[in-house]
Amino acid sequence: MKILDKLAVLDRRIIYLFVGLAVIIPMLIPLGLPVDITRPVKNVYDKIESLPEGSIVLMSTDYDPGSEAELYPATEAVIEHCFRRNLRIYMMGLWPAGSALGERALDTLGRIHNKTYGIDYINVGYRPGGAVMLLSLGRNFRDVIRVDYTGRPIDSLELGHQVHSARDITMVMTLSAGDPGVIHWVQYFHARFGTPICAATTAIMAPRQYPYMNSGQLVGLLGGLKGAAEYETLVNRRGRGLTGMDSQSIVHVLLVLFIILGNVILIYQKRKKSAVGAA
Amino acid sequence: MFWIGFLIINALNIQAFDTPNDDGSSITITWPADTILKAMGITRSLNSSGDFEKIADATSRDSIFQDATVQRGIDYYYRLKWNDPEGERFSNVAGPVRAQVQFLNFFRLQNIGLLIAILFAVIIFYINHARTGKKLTIRRIPGLTAVEDAIGRATEMGKPVLYVPGIMDIDDPQTIAAMSILARVAEKTAEYGTTLFVPTCHAMAMTMAQQVVKEAAIKVGRPDWYNIDNIRYLTDDQFGYVSAVDGIMIRDHPATNFYLGSFYAESLILAETGHSTGAIQIAGTAMSDQLPFFVAACDYTLLGEELYAASAYLSQEPVQLGSLKGQDLGKILFITLILFGVITRLLGWNFFYNLFSVQQ
Amino acid sequence: MKRTIPQIIVFACGFFMLTAFFIPVRFVQDMSQMLQNWYIGVAAFFVFIGIINLIKINLEKIQRKVRDWQYSYILLGFLFFMMFAGFVLRGHTEGPVFKYMFAYFYTPCSATMFSLLAFFVASASFRAFRAKTPEATLLLIAAVIVMIGRIPVGYGIWHGFPSLVEWIMTVPNTAANRGIIFGINLGLISMALRVLLGIERSYMGGGD
Repeated sequence: MKILDKLAVLDRRIIYLFVGLAVIIPMLIPLGLPVDITRPVKNVYDKIESLPEGSIVLMSTDYDPGSEAELYPATEAVIEHCFRRNLRIYMMGLWPAGSALGERALDTLGRIHNKTYGIDYINVGYRPGGAVMLLSLGRNFRDVIRVDYTGRPIDSLELGHQVHSARDITMVMTLSAGDPGVIHWVQYFHARFGTPICAATTAIMAPRQYPYMNSGQLVGLLGGLKGAAEYETLVNRRGRGLTGMDSQSIVHVLLVLFIILGNVILIYQKRKKSAVGAA
Repeated sequence: MFWIGFLIINALNIQAFDTPNDDGSSITITWPADTILKAMGITRSLNSSGDFEKIADATSRDSIFQDATVQRGIDYYYRLKWNDPEGERFSNVAGPVRAQVQFLNFFRLQNIGLLIAILFAVIIFYINHARTGKKLTIRRIPGLTAVEDAIGRATEMGKPVLYVPGIMDIDDPQTIAAMSILARVAEKTAEYGTTLFVPTCHAMAMTMAQQVVKEAAIKVGRPDWYNIDNIRYLTDDQFGYVSAVDGIMIRDHPATNFYLGSFYAESLILAETGHSTGAIQIAGTAMSDQLPFFVAACDYTLLGEELYAASAYLSQEPVQLGSLKGQDLGKILFITLILFGVITRLLGWNFFYNLFSVQQ
Repeated sequence: MKRTIPQIIVFACGFFMLTAFFIPVRFVQDMSQMLQNWYIGVAAFFVFIGIINLIKINLEKIQRKVRDWQYSYILLGFLFFMMFAGFVLRGHTEGPVFKYMFAYFYTPCSATMFSLLAFFVASASFRAFRAKTPEATLLLIAAVIVMIGRIPVGYGIWHGFPSLVEWIMTVPNTAANRGIIFGINLGLISMALRVLLGIERSYMGGGD
């Protein structure tokens, strides 16, 4: 069949065009597809729901702008949930660029929920040092953190003054795109101090975290944009996660169609070859 | 309810002991977790009869606390206190307890230390065995067998070879493995007179790569072939680096691309761009997340441990091959331990599992 | 001598770091920490070496007017301007110019490069997911199930899809991952021992 012969040498730019359209069209015409909730995401939600009011949640923005599309919606959804539950957020980051992204989410949502910087939330910014820093941090926050993101002395802020060690932190929420990230929090902070860890990771990294969830070292996991969309559904927030899921759904279906097409072409070529061979 | 509460309160028996396997800087206090009690204070004194000072807060979900503010050689006493409708309550006094230095972490020695010692012994045995001259058989690794052919292809086409040693710095073992393989690749490209590009993501990796390539050129008697500008630092930024490498691929059209080392999300971007230029691609990484992308987009892929074995494989030196044999025997040992662990747990015997439990 | 001294340093430092894992004594831990801090300090200093290399190569390109030399002007221009904005302009890294360039130059460019993955996944899937062998067929089926099961459409087709996906992720995927990780770490230990004992020296240059 001539059309299959042509499709066998399909220019990759045609594929890119289809993918581009599959992403853009649902953004312009939202489909509003419902999102099912999976257990790892529900675990995170239930954990935050179980925290008493006033508990301090340490949020670590361990990603950079390259992973913003997947992890920023999760950042916003979790902050929203924490603020609604009147939990206090102590934000930091193991990656330099993550702090700026986290700051933006905190500022925006802090204004919406009438939260006060220094009392309800605080951002101490990027802390280098990876695993070694985490061990020092858990023992004594003052060894690692003296000032906040803007340079103000940490003890001059009410929330900063109250946190001295890992024992003052009720839960860690790490939003992680690589190393250092969730594995460091689990292997060093949780293993040493016992603090429960929840994580949001890029979709590629999510499978690697399942062993930690199975062993109980990780409470729950938001994997990729889907995880963020599930969380937004749970907290009843229409954010970029849910918006992006329409596009992701269409792109996944398109990928499956391309895979089926590729295999149809393979079968056709095999038959053609054996027909030529027989002849 | 009052009697139950009374019984529970009086049953709160705390224990204090020197934290095992540490440097004598902490004392551990334990007590049974109690869901009825809400908030507690941990208090400490230098004598059993009074002057207990609060050192930390605890909640009803906790059952362990490590006091890391103690001084060695001093006896301490501990007591918990909490409030209930009847007033302030106290647990028993635990102590005297003194923090002491342990010079060896016996917990780690009995599991990790023992396993590493056995593994080292096995590897060293096979290295010495190889020194006796006995030939060792290593299975064929297609990706490594194809290295020379791939470089030959680039030479015939008159195009350069591109070698990407990962995006991590030289503190990453994968980068060290990549540099070891780079030495072999550089020898071959220098011998054939083929241009070799090595763009790096970190300045230290650049320095190491320059040294490796230069020495390789000298070794095969082609010092004139070496061009320091072909081994360059691009940027530390992940996506800045990958866009620069893509630019090299699109402009210079290398015929052979090597991606060996530590990669993250940029792996597929590199591999697909390289494929679009028609290059033959050999990849290898120990990042299990990125292996599927390399397998899908590259002609040959070294999976995980094959990257670490590559240098030994390419050298074909008996001593290095001996270490690979030892590593394989180590793998058999681990499989046996896993099976033993699974069986003992299924039978309800926890002694083996407890040997490897996480401890502070 | 040129390689002997580095080998001695490698062995001494490697052996020390290995034994420090089993010795909790404060002095030993402090020494171990100091070695790691030295590395961080050296690595930070090397950033300058990298920048100097970058400037040197691009200046040579401009001087020799090689192909695409004009882009070197753009690269060096942005490099120096960003450094100026960060070090000199008001507020250092919090200054409005630096923040603006971070938010509207660097962030979109990074996100754009990351977005290329969406297109490349499509072209790689079309090319690579073909049922040529039984293993490839298994991979293909698992990939299709996971891709469909992870989206609302999958849940709409069959309510059991997400559970099946979760089973694939938590059982066969986790088992395979653990096996690969075991192999990787064993290979790492073997390579580390070769480096420690000086059997593997090619990373230092000069071969064996």
